[in-house]
Amino acid sequence: MKKLLSLALSMSMLFALVSCGGTPANSNPGGAGADVSSSAGSGAPSSGGEPIKIGFFAPITSAAASADGESTKNSVELAIKILNDAGGIDGRKVELVWYDDGLDTSQAVSIAEKLTTKDGVCAVVSGSYSGPTRVAAPIFQAAGIPMMSAYAVHPDVVNAGDYVFSQSFPGKVQATAAAYFAVNELKAKNIAIIAVDLDFGTEQASAFKAYAEANGATIISEDFVAMADNEFSSIVTKVKSLNPDLIYLPNYYGHAAEVLKQCKVQGVECAILGCEGADSWQFFETAGEYAEGFYITTNLDRDSQDPAVQEYIQLYSETYSKMPDMTGASAYDAMQILFEAIKTAGTDPAAIRDAITGMTNIDTVTGTLYRYTAAGSAVKPVQIQVVKDGAFHHYGVIEDESIIVPEN
Amino acid sequence: MLLQQLLNGLVIGCVYALTAMGATLIYGILRILDIANAAAYVIGAYIGWYIFDLTHNIVLAFVVSMLLTGLLGVVIHRTIYAPILSKPRLMPIIPLVAAVGLFTLTSDIVRLIAGGGTKAYNLKFDTDVYHLGGLTITPQWILILVLTCMLFLVLWFILNKTKMGLAWRATAEDAEIAQAMGINTKSAMALSYIIGYGFAAAAGIMVGVLYNSITPALGDVPSYKMLAVIVLGGLGNPVGTVLAGILVGLAETLISVYLPIGLPKDSIAFIALIIILLVKPDGLITRKNKA
Amino acid sequence: MFSYVVSVVVTIEIYALLALSLNVITGYAGQSMMGHAAFFGIGAYTGALLTNAGVNFWLAMPLSLLVTGVCGALVGVVSLRVRDDFLAITTIGINFVVVALFNSMKVFGASLGLSTKGAFFFGTRMNNTHYMILLTFLIVVVCLLMRKMNHSWFGLALATMNNDEGAAKSFGINVSQYKILAFIIGTALAGLTGCIYAHRMGIIFSSNFAFTFSITILSMVVIGGIGTIRGPLLGALLLGAAPEVLRFADDYRMLVYGALLVIMVRFQPQGLLGENSVILRFLKRLTKGQKGGAVHE
Repeated sequence: MKKLLSLALSMSMLFALVSCGGTPANSNPGGAGADVSSSAGSGAPSSGGEPIKIGFFAPITSAAASADGESTKNSVELAIKILNDAGGIDGRKVELVWYDDGLDTSQAVSIAEKLTTKDGVCAVVSGSYSGPTRVAAPIFQAAGIPMMSAYAVHPDVVNAGDYVFSQSFPGKVQATAAAYFAVNELKAKNIAIIAVDLDFGTEQASAFKAYAEANGATIISEDFVAMADNEFSSIVTKVKSLNPDLIYLPNYYGHAAEVLKQCKVQGVECAILGCEGADSWQFFETAGEYAEGFYITTNLDRDSQDPAVQEYIQLYSETYSKMPDMTGASAYDAMQILFEAIKTAGTDPAAIRDAITGMTNIDTVTGTLYRYTAAGSAVKPVQIQVVKDGAFHHYGVIEDESIIVPEN
Repeated sequence: MLLQQLLNGLVIGCVYALTAMGATLIYGILRILDIANAAAYVIGAYIGWYIFDLTHNIVLAFVVSMLLTGLLGVVIHRTIYAPILSKPRLMPIIPLVAAVGLFTLTSDIVRLIAGGGTKAYNLKFDTDVYHLGGLTITPQWILILVLTCMLFLVLWFILNKTKMGLAWRATAEDAEIAQAMGINTKSAMALSYIIGYGFAAAAGIMVGVLYNSITPALGDVPSYKMLAVIVLGGLGNPVGTVLAGILVGLAETLISVYLPIGLPKDSIAFIALIIILLVKPDGLITRKNKA
Repeated sequence: MFSYVVSVVVTIEIYALLALSLNVITGYAGQSMMGHAAFFGIGAYTGALLTNAGVNFWLAMPLSLLVTGVCGALVGVVSLRVRDDFLAITTIGINFVVVALFNSMKVFGASLGLSTKGAFFFGTRMNNTHYMILLTFLIVVVCLLMRKMNHSWFGLALATMNNDEGAAKSFGINVSQYKILAFIIGTALAGLTGCIYAHRMGIIFSSNFAFTFSITILSMVVIGGIGTIRGPLLGALLLGAAPEVLRFADDYRMLVYGALLVIMVRFQPQGLLGENSVILRFLKRLTKGQKGGAVHE
C-alpha cells in the first residue's frame, strides 16, 4: 500500500512539476528576445501594431557546439536589430523567440511543439545542426509554419514538406563544386580525402568522390575521423606515402587546422581544399601561418562589393568583437529571406511559404539566391575562397547550373 | 613509414598515460571511477592558457596550473567525495553520478568564463620540425616525451622513496589495515588528489600545445577513454597505466593505418578492452600482491 | 501549449521506462551496468528496421523486446565472468562498440541516421498524445509487475544475491541464472522503449544512444533512489523535466543542472526517495502527525 501511495505521489508530482515548469517559461521565452523587444519599445513606443514574432533555436549550452550556437544567435539578433532600427516591417517590430536545444533531439522536439503551439511565431529559423533540425522539421510542417534551416546539411531536412526550406546549398552541391574546382581548376589527379565521421563529412565525401572519379581523377585514400578527434599525424604520414596532388577535407576547422600543420611539418606540399566547416574565426586561431594557401568552398564571400555584406561583417565584428563566420552569415541570411517574404506577403504562414517559394534573384550576404527548388533547397553560387595573409579572400565562384542545382 | 607511425603512436600513448594517471591514483585509494578527472584536464588546460597568455612562460603555466588544479582536487574531495563515501552501504556507482555532475558543471563554468570558441596556445619554437634520418619530429612532441618522463620519475620517487608514498601504497593495499597501523589515510587521499588532478592538468596543457587548440569540450573524449586505459592497466596500478596508455596509443595508430576495420578509432580501444577482459577478467596487468 | 506539455511528458515517460529497466539490473541484481543506452539503441534500430521493412508497429514492439533481450542475455553471461568495476567498464565498451556500428554500417543509415515511417493505430497516425497514453499504460503495467516481482521468489533471490552473493549461493540460489534473467528483463524493457522512441522521433542517430545517455539514465536511478520503484520514476521526472523547467536559467541552464546533480548526490546519496531519505522521513512524519491529530479530535 505504501509503495502504491508513493507511486501515486510521484506521478502527481510529475504533473505538478510539468505544469509549474510550463508557467515560468510561459512568461519568459528567452532573455535575448526580451532585450530586443525592450530596446525596440523604447525607441519607438507609438509605432503601430503588435510585434511580428519569429522563432529561433540553436545549440547554445552544448560544450561541443556552443561556438556555432553563439555565432548564429548573435547574427539573428543583429539582423533583427538592424531591421527594427530602420523601422521594422510596415511599422511593426520583429521580436525573436529563441531557445537553446543543447544539441539534443528530444529537446528540439519539445521546442518545436512550443514554438508552433504556444509562442505564436509566424516563421522559424533553425541555427542548429542536422539532428535537431531534422526532428523539428516535420513538426513545423504539420503545424504549417515555415522553417528556414540556416546551414544543416542533412539531405532529408527539406524533404519534410513544403513548409521546410534550406537557406544554403546542400552538402552534395558544395562537394560537387569542390570536385569541379579540384579537377578542372587545380588539375588534381590523385586525391586523398580526410573527412569527419558525421553526415556532414560522409555526404560531402561521397558526392566529391562521385564527381571526381567520373571526371578522370582517382581517389587514392579515404579516412574518416571522429568529430572530437584532433589526431591526424598518422593519417598524414600514410597519405604522404601515397603522393597525392590534392587533399580534400570535408571536416571542421579544428581538423583542417591540424591537417594543414601536419602536412607542413611532414613536408606534404600538395594543394589542400576544405569546405565551409573550416569557415570560422576559430580556424585562424589554431592554424596560424599554416593556413596560407588553403582553399575552401563556402557561401560567404568576404571580398564581395555588395555593401550589405560589408555592413554585416563590420557590424558583427564591432558588436561582438569577433569576425563573423559561415554559420552566422547563413543564419543572418535565413532571417533576411524571412523578412523579405513577410514584407511582401504579411504574417500569414502559408503566404510566407508561397512568397519564399516564388523568390528569384535575391541578394543576400551569402551570395545571390537564384531560386528555390520544388523541395525547398536554395540554388546559390558556391564561393571558392583562399587564405592570404591570415584571412579568407575571393578566389573564384562556381555558378554552373549543372553543378549548383540540388537534386531535390 | 612504420617507424614514423610508431613514433606518432608513442606520443599519443604518452598523452593517454598522463591523462589516465590521475584517475588511476584516485582509484588506487578510493576505489571510485573518477570521471571528474576529465574536468581537471579541462580546467588545467584553461588555467595554463591564461597564465601562458599573461606571462608567455610555459614552465610557469605548467607549474601554477598543476598546483591550482591539484588543490582544487583536494577541495573537491573534502567537500564532495569524502562525505558521500563516508555513508554506509554505498553502491560504487553513486559517487560516479556525482563525478558526472561535477564534470558537466565544470565544463559549463569553463564555457561561461572563457566562451565556447577555440583558444590557441600559440607556443612558438625555433623550428617547426626536426629531421632525424627519415623521421620527422616536432618540438611539441619532444616537449611531451620529456615532460612525461619527468613527471613519471617524480611520481615514482614520491611513491617509492618518501614517507608519504609509503602511506599511499599501504592505503592502496588495504585502507582499513593501514589506518589501524596508524597511517594517516587522509593525507594519502589528499596526495592522490593533488597528484591526480595535477597530472590531469599537465595532460590538458600538453594536448592544448600539441593541437594548438583548447575548447570547453576538451574533456569529452578523455572522460571515457581514460577509463579504458586504467582498466587495461589493472585499475589502480600506476606502472600498468603507463604501459596501457602507450599500448592503446600504438594500437590505435597502427590499426587505423594498417588494418582499417571501418570502425572509428575510439572503438578500437574498447574492442581490445572487451576481448582482454573476457580472457583475463581482472585486467591485463594485475597487481602482484593482491589475491 | 498542451502539445508542448505532452511532448515533454512523453520524453519523461520514455526516461521513466529506461530508468525502471536499468533499476532491475543495477538496483535489484546489483550489477554495474553502464551501457544501458546501447540496448535502448538496439531496440530503437530493430524497431525502425522492422517497420521500414513493412512490419506493423505493434508487432515490431514485441520483436524489438525479444531481440534486445537476447543481446542482453549475452551481457548477462559476460557478467558471470567479469565483475564489479570491470563489468562497469566492459559495458561502457559495449556501448561504444554498438554506437560505432550504428554510425558506420549502411544498414543502420550510418551517420545520416535512420528514418522511420510513422506508427499507426487502427489507421490513424500516432501523435504525441497517443504515445503518451501508450507509455502511461506501459509504465503502470511495469510498476505493477515489478512490485509483484519484488515479493516473488525471484525478487527475494535477487535481494539476497545483491546483499551477499556467497550467502545466496549457500542457500541454494542459482545465482548465475538469476543474474542473466535480470539482464534479460532490464535490457528487453529498454529495447521496447527504444522501439517506441524511434517511431516517436521519426529519425534516430547513433549519437542518441551514446555513453553519455547511459550515464543520464544511471543518474535518474541514483538520484531518485536505487532499488525502489518510486525512485527511478522521480529521477526520470526530475532529469526529464530539467531541460525545460530550467529554461529560466537561460545561459546557465547546464550549470544549474550539473550543480543540482552534485548537490543531490552529495546530500542524499541514497536517492531522494531512497531508504530513509529526508523526503520520506518528512512524509512519514506528516502522515503520522495527521493520524495523531485525528486521535485528538
